[in-house]
Amino acid sequence: MGRAKTLPRRLGLYIAALVISVYSAFPIYWMVVSSLREPTELLTNVSLIPNVLSLESYRNLLELTDYPRHFMNSVIVAVVAVLVTMVFSVMIAYAVTRQRIRGKKVIVGAMLYAYMFPPLLIAIPIFTIFARLGLSDTLTGLIASHLTLTLPLGVWFLWGFFKSMPFELEEAAMVDGCTRLGAFLRVVLPLALPGLITVAIFSFLLSWTDYTFALVMIGSDANKTLPVGLASMVGSFDLRWGEIMAGSTLIALPLFAAFALMSQYFIQGLGAGAVKG
Amino acid sequence: MSSKATIYGFLFVGLAVTLALIVAPAVYAVSLSFYQMDSFVGAPKWVGFANYVAVLQAPEFWRALLNGAIYALGSIVFQVILGIGFALVLNEAFPGRNLVRGLSILPYLLPTVVVILTFKWMVDGGIGIVTKAVEAMGLPPINWFESPGAAMASTILVSVWMWTPFVTTCFLAALQTVPQSLYEAARVDGTTAVQRFFHITLPMLKPILTVVVLLRAIWMFNKFDVIWLLTRGGPVGATENLAILSYRHAFNLFDIGGGAAIATISFALLSVAVLIYFWVFPLEDD
Repeated sequence: MGRAKTLPRRLGLYIAALVISVYSAFPIYWMVVSSLREPTELLTNVSLIPNVLSLESYRNLLELTDYPRHFMNSVIVAVVAVLVTMVFSVMIAYAVTRQRIRGKKVIVGAMLYAYMFPPLLIAIPIFTIFARLGLSDTLTGLIASHLTLTLPLGVWFLWGFFKSMPFELEEAAMVDGCTRLGAFLRVVLPLALPGLITVAIFSFLLSWTDYTFALVMIGSDANKTLPVGLASMVGSFDLRWGEIMAGSTLIALPLFAAFALMSQYFIQGLGAGAVKG
Repeated sequence: MSSKATIYGFLFVGLAVTLALIVAPAVYAVSLSFYQMDSFVGAPKWVGFANYVAVLQAPEFWRALLNGAIYALGSIVFQVILGIGFALVLNEAFPGRNLVRGLSILPYLLPTVVVILTFKWMVDGGIGIVTKAVEAMGLPPINWFESPGAAMASTILVSVWMWTPFVTTCFLAALQTVPQSLYEAARVDGTTAVQRFFHITLPMLKPILTVVVLLRAIWMFNKFDVIWLLTRGGPVGATENLAILSYRHAFNLFDIGGGAAIATISFALLSVAVLIYFWVFPLEDD
């Protein structure tokens, strides 16, 4: 729509863009800045730009708290959840798009439905089952509960992806003597890579940021993941905001890095409604 | 291995996993709501509909239902209004547009915990930047969490900040599909920008608006983490919704059957919304 814009109109546009930027980014900027201030300065100085940068809050966080351990737990849970999600969602999505299976609408519909379940509808029974198996307070239980979010997302997204992929590709490979499995592994999977990357990113995001399931499934300090570990620090730590903001920055950092590197996958996934929340 | 065997093998493995992880727990949750259980490993005792009767007779259930509705409605209205506004701005051409688009998505990527902690730090009573700014403007201090109304407003404010980017992104994608010729024609007819918004843009955005409102309604109605981290449902239950009530029953009061009954009721309410969704947007085959 942009031709011959009048000056007031253009000025209004710039102001609106500035307001959106400040509104969206200022809290994030403030989190990072607060984590980099001298802890003593933090309590007295609210200047927008700190006088001196200091890593003391990070040092305290990493040396005096369980943060590094929680970080490792989060990495393990997220990586396993992502891998399992990719394997199973690609199998289901491929099967329902490539074969006339009765009730396939039911399968896909159920997946979308499951994606909208109330969290406690899943958290209460999974916790009960794992408690009865003697597996309460384990990372395994937490991974299982994360799969209830990531698997429906993966199937739903890849279903859309495979639908738009022509059948002729595998058929040609199979005419050339490939088996169905061979055609799937050598032809379909490489072409589905962009879809798989999107699924991996969003599964990681869901698992890495989850608070609700981790709160329910994990009891001991040693098994906590980052979101629950950081939240519990607020109570026990006598509100040391520098360390808490340092911890928040470190949780957000991998997500921002991934966003900066792979923003086109993010936009694509967001457009498909990929993130529950 | 034949072609069919591979496909059915895939399907079998995939469905077995889904059944074990999603269908079985959901069914189990519903069945738990008919039992009395005082511990997670104790023997369940069949009580029929007693849990439902107890839950529905408690005034806190109805309060939680109302709170959940207020919270969901309030946050959706502001998300949609801001989201449309942001999308309209970000759809215009100006230098640095991609940067602003990127910045506008950032809140959506942050873990809830990070957002809540940063918000609490910014409004901290003694030294938070917002507190200081309010002080510098000579205004009386804001009590963000102390009165019921303020606590509800705070949870809505934080939720709107977090999920507006979802709405913005959806509308931005939709705006790009509106044919420019419609605007040209309307401009020739001498319409104002406001008229063009209400007569062209908004009708063209209606389908995506329905999806966005339905999805947001489903997710906001079930929200647990924002409210729990911000207010724990307080003060005195003023921000407690069904998810918080269900959690408190199962994990604080060890009334596991009652917690499961509340989760099942939310599930039933949500199913109505999901049915509407499938009715408006039937699944397209192939």
